[in-house]
Amino acid sequence: MMGIMETAPGRWSLAQAAAALLLSGYAGAALPHGHMPPTNPGQAVASRPAKPTLAIGATVDAQGRIWLARVENRTLLVSHSADEGKHFSAPVAVNAEPENIGAEGENRPKIAVTRNGTLHLTWTLLLSQPYTGEIRYARSTDGGKTYSAPITINDDKRLTSHRFDSLVSDGGDRLAIVWLDGRDRDAAKEQGVAYAGTSVYVARSDDDGASFHANRKLAEHTCECCRTALAWTADGPVALWRNLYGSNTRDFAFSYLDTGKVQRLADDEWNIDACPHHGGGIATGGDGTLHAVWYTHGKNRQGLFYRQVKGDRMSAPMAFGNAQAQAGHATVAADGQTVLITWREFDGQAYGAMALLSKDGGTSWSAPRRIATTADAADYPMPLIHDGRMQVVWNTLREGVRIMEVE
Amino acid sequence: MLRRLCLLLVCLAAWPASAAEPARFDSGSLAKIEARYAGKPFILSLWSVNWCGHCIDELTMLGKLSKNEKNLPLVLVAVDSPEDRDAIRKTLRKLGLSHVESWVFDDPIPERLRASIDPAWQGELPRSYLYDKTHRRQAAVGTLDEARLKSWLEQQGQRSGTAK
Repeated sequence: MMGIMETAPGRWSLAQAAAALLLSGYAGAALPHGHMPPTNPGQAVASRPAKPTLAIGATVDAQGRIWLARVENRTLLVSHSADEGKHFSAPVAVNAEPENIGAEGENRPKIAVTRNGTLHLTWTLLLSQPYTGEIRYARSTDGGKTYSAPITINDDKRLTSHRFDSLVSDGGDRLAIVWLDGRDRDAAKEQGVAYAGTSVYVARSDDDGASFHANRKLAEHTCECCRTALAWTADGPVALWRNLYGSNTRDFAFSYLDTGKVQRLADDEWNIDACPHHGGGIATGGDGTLHAVWYTHGKNRQGLFYRQVKGDRMSAPMAFGNAQAQAGHATVAADGQTVLITWREFDGQAYGAMALLSKDGGTSWSAPRRIATTADAADYPMPLIHDGRMQVVWNTLREGVRIMEVE
Repeated sequence: MLRRLCLLLVCLAAWPASAAEPARFDSGSLAKIEARYAGKPFILSLWSVNWCGHCIDELTMLGKLSKNEKNLPLVLVAVDSPEDRDAIRKTLRKLGLSHVESWVFDDPIPERLRASIDPAWQGELPRSYLYDKTHRRQAAVGTLDEARLKSWLEQQGQRSGTAK
């Protein structure tokens, strides 16, 4: 009925224009000058249900139970499974007051559980001003029956960007949270000073989340819109983020929070005045080895990469994933000598949850495996290792949360 | 017939008076845009209202430029989703781009739409394509440089000379 219009740009077809005027009933529908609307105005966007909030958090407790945190109707819901995901407990709401919780793309709720069973949760509360948010925290000390009232972790009281939180527990009373924070950029702007990128801030607790130390700045001038990552090592927590080197080289950096020394993960030389929206992952294996995965499109390498960091030594970056299938958004888990990497690909028809497995601490790897597929909206897959099991957790719109074994 | 008329009414009622209602961008949309601009240069500019601060910088520049360049052949595609249409409209209005052709991704698998635009594009934003009149295109990765854009427009004979 309304095919491609053959008229020159700047004109609606007469019939459409007349009909629009007739039906809209007000002069505001006067013909636009200079540009015509897109060719399918008939399908002008109608209201649909709220966006799916598919990005979930997952972890495993000391009893081998899998805990999930997911968002529905502005509520963070936590449930657990004692049979590898076949059945889940009735979900318990964390926040009594509904709030706009980021659960899309690289924004996901985070969940961690200690050996004694305390559940820690963080998430980003997205505020209505573009790119503004707050880092929120709540915990349960009764095995997930009830949750503390959520608190805001960023302590600057500024309406600015606080986003892309990460959470890690040492399994005991210590807890670290990092996030991207716009306070320094805003303060510079107020002084009329240009500020490249944003900052990474840290909040730590030594009493199982009962209280937090004051926020501390970890690094200035970081990329603005890529997720951060955290792992706990024998030397304390280590954070990974996409840093800014020079004015616009967006390569990854990591830092042990106790020393604060910042090290470059790789010399990718991705010089780009843009938001990649594509972060990395980090995990600790046996002998304190760090396993890192990341995405770049730099001068020196392009695609998904893995490398080990042990003391001052780093392995050569290993490429993985099919670039032709837009391989991206990798996450890594490690336990002893077992390392499991997951990421997502799209083959032109369907999404695939992909996995790579190493049993020797990242020295040799299995061939990449496609663990599952879906033909609709999907979260990024996540790896879990526990009790000798290797699993991929994947939430997809059609199939729901699947927990799949990797042999 | 009645059904078709009703459909027409529904369609037209949904048709924006401001012409800033983002239309749904699917895997066939780029071909339509290219067909409409056959023989003419245009700028395809990809952005996100939800997570791309650099995009706002670029759109601010484009908004200013479009004040002086009445015929700036600009097509904006937001990689968000139809639920974001209000935010898109609001942002474009604020930046003086209400009159510009505007689209929004409409696919649960945005990778499909990315591939339809450029298989080499991994999603980073902003990203633009400068189409000359024969539709040879150059990708501009990251924020468009105003000087580069102006000189490109000049080469295309697009500058209206109204710039003050």
